[in-house]
Amino acid sequence: MPGLLEEISYDLGAAWAIARKDMKIYYLKPSILVSSLLFPFVMFLAFAIGRNAPPGTLIPGLLAITLLFSASSIEPVSIPIERRTKTFDRLLSAPVSVRAIVLGASLSGAIFASAIGVATTAIGLVAFRTGILHIVALLTGIALTSLCFSTMGTLFAAYRTENVGEVMSLLNLVRLPLLFISGVFIPIASMPAWGQSIALLSPLTYAHDLILFAFDGTTLFGPVADTAVLVLALIIFQAAGALLYQRSRE
Amino acid sequence: MDAIEVIGLTKRFGDNIAVNGIRFRVGEGETFGFLGPNGAGKTTTIRMLTGMTRITSGHALIHGHDIVRDTLAAKQLMGIVSETSNVYDELSAWDNLIFTGRIYHLGKAEIQRNARDLLETFDLYERRHEPAEAFSKGMKRRLTLAMGLVNRPRVLFLDEPTSGLDVQSRRIIRDVVQDLAQKNVTIFLTTHDIEEANVTCDRVAIINRGTIAAIDAPEKLKQTFESLQSVEVSFDTTKPGLLEALRTLPQVNEVRKEGDKFRLYTADPPEVLGSLCVLAKEQNLRPISVTTRGPSLEEVFIRLTGLSVGTKKETGEADAGLA
Repeated sequence: MPGLLEEISYDLGAAWAIARKDMKIYYLKPSILVSSLLFPFVMFLAFAIGRNAPPGTLIPGLLAITLLFSASSIEPVSIPIERRTKTFDRLLSAPVSVRAIVLGASLSGAIFASAIGVATTAIGLVAFRTGILHIVALLTGIALTSLCFSTMGTLFAAYRTENVGEVMSLLNLVRLPLLFISGVFIPIASMPAWGQSIALLSPLTYAHDLILFAFDGTTLFGPVADTAVLVLALIIFQAAGALLYQRSRE
Repeated sequence: MDAIEVIGLTKRFGDNIAVNGIRFRVGEGETFGFLGPNGAGKTTTIRMLTGMTRITSGHALIHGHDIVRDTLAAKQLMGIVSETSNVYDELSAWDNLIFTGRIYHLGKAEIQRNARDLLETFDLYERRHEPAEAFSKGMKRRLTLAMGLVNRPRVLFLDEPTSGLDVQSRRIIRDVVQDLAQKNVTIFLTTHDIEEANVTCDRVAIINRGTIAAIDAPEKLKQTFESLQSVEVSFDTTKPGLLEALRTLPQVNEVRKEGDKFRLYTADPPEVLGSLCVLAKEQNLRPISVTTRGPSLEEVFIRLTGLSVGTKKETGEADAGLA
């Protein structure tokens, strides 16, 4: 039986192998890359046209939305497809723990979303000549938000089906309301008391708050609290994912 | 130590018992056939033995490692070739093998060496950089088998390895399996091709409705069913009423017409041969070929699984070898 250190090393090695495989098969397709880069541009047009707010102030919100959708969109598609083609059985029958499967699938989404997030930010900064106040907070926010929401996507894909539509419907039931309760469109301070209470439950609230802090220094909870909540949400999603994938091996 | 030890293995899906307390052992280096009709519990058993499906109760040990409690160590010793050619279509043959080697925790040099050897063995090396989606069915099957061998397993689970393949792929796969058996690799084979099991396996188990109906060497299983022996005869001509006349011969259980031949099932072939000679003389027929045959493994399989074989129902099947 391998020791604890050896087991961790096995898990990390397998997770990295799964992430590389997913990147190669799903994320680096030209159609996925182009549509992912166009997504924030289209969202920008949707929110900027007809508003009086300076376009540069839209960047934090757009970045949060981009990270949410880029990170959580591919694994809920790829995992049901792999169940249908029986390639997912390869992972289940290999000497790989479900922790490593969940981490590997999440890592690929996180790396992809982080790259899209960095590209989106760079384009926004150049186009609107805005600045960043806290670069470390921004990079931390991008990385943690990406990993948190890619894990959320992987978690939903634990629903044991070969039908992509079923997983996406469930995911959108959660993902779309998150946009409206997390301060991205409506500032949390402007929400009614019940809305503010719900906002506290959304990881996107803290992701947006951390990104906002990185850009202009304004924050509701502070960067340390935002980071702590995102880490906590990440741990909960990873643990729940591992539990659900373990249970789905009926 | 046994390569595979199965003790009271059970799988329930709600109220349905898919596999009911089966037990058997497979020795190291043995080629073990696992046969059964569709829905008998073959795939569920393989999925439990390979850790893909949770076990309701019982134990499965791979070289002494419990698949539930010592999962990673048990899986590290296995190779699995599933019924579906589950390769990653978008990846090249080379990348499929490299990925498989990585999730089996092999070192880089070992993965590359094994991948090269296996691609050469399976005649895929020249096309190693092409995506698998461009491969024929036979090539994908060979790649699937190569992926099952990349970790040099001590126990190889093969689920219908040659089903529906072209002659070249069947031959390559059979040669590789025979070679592995000679190298002391334990092979657990499920197949619908009874003849394949007959010529490949040291022992076979027949599972039916979730329980093991029989376990033994193919030849011993055949000997268990004396009434499935037969005399095959072909005459120079045929006459109306000949089939009925053959059925009235003493010691004949059933007669089937197979092309230009008649097959007479009996527990006593010498007695039937004598009666046949008398009948041929009476009806002025000239036998042009006469062959006595023992039961085939397929007939044993059909009898044990309760499917019709065209013979009268035999009683008292609890002979040696039957579980």
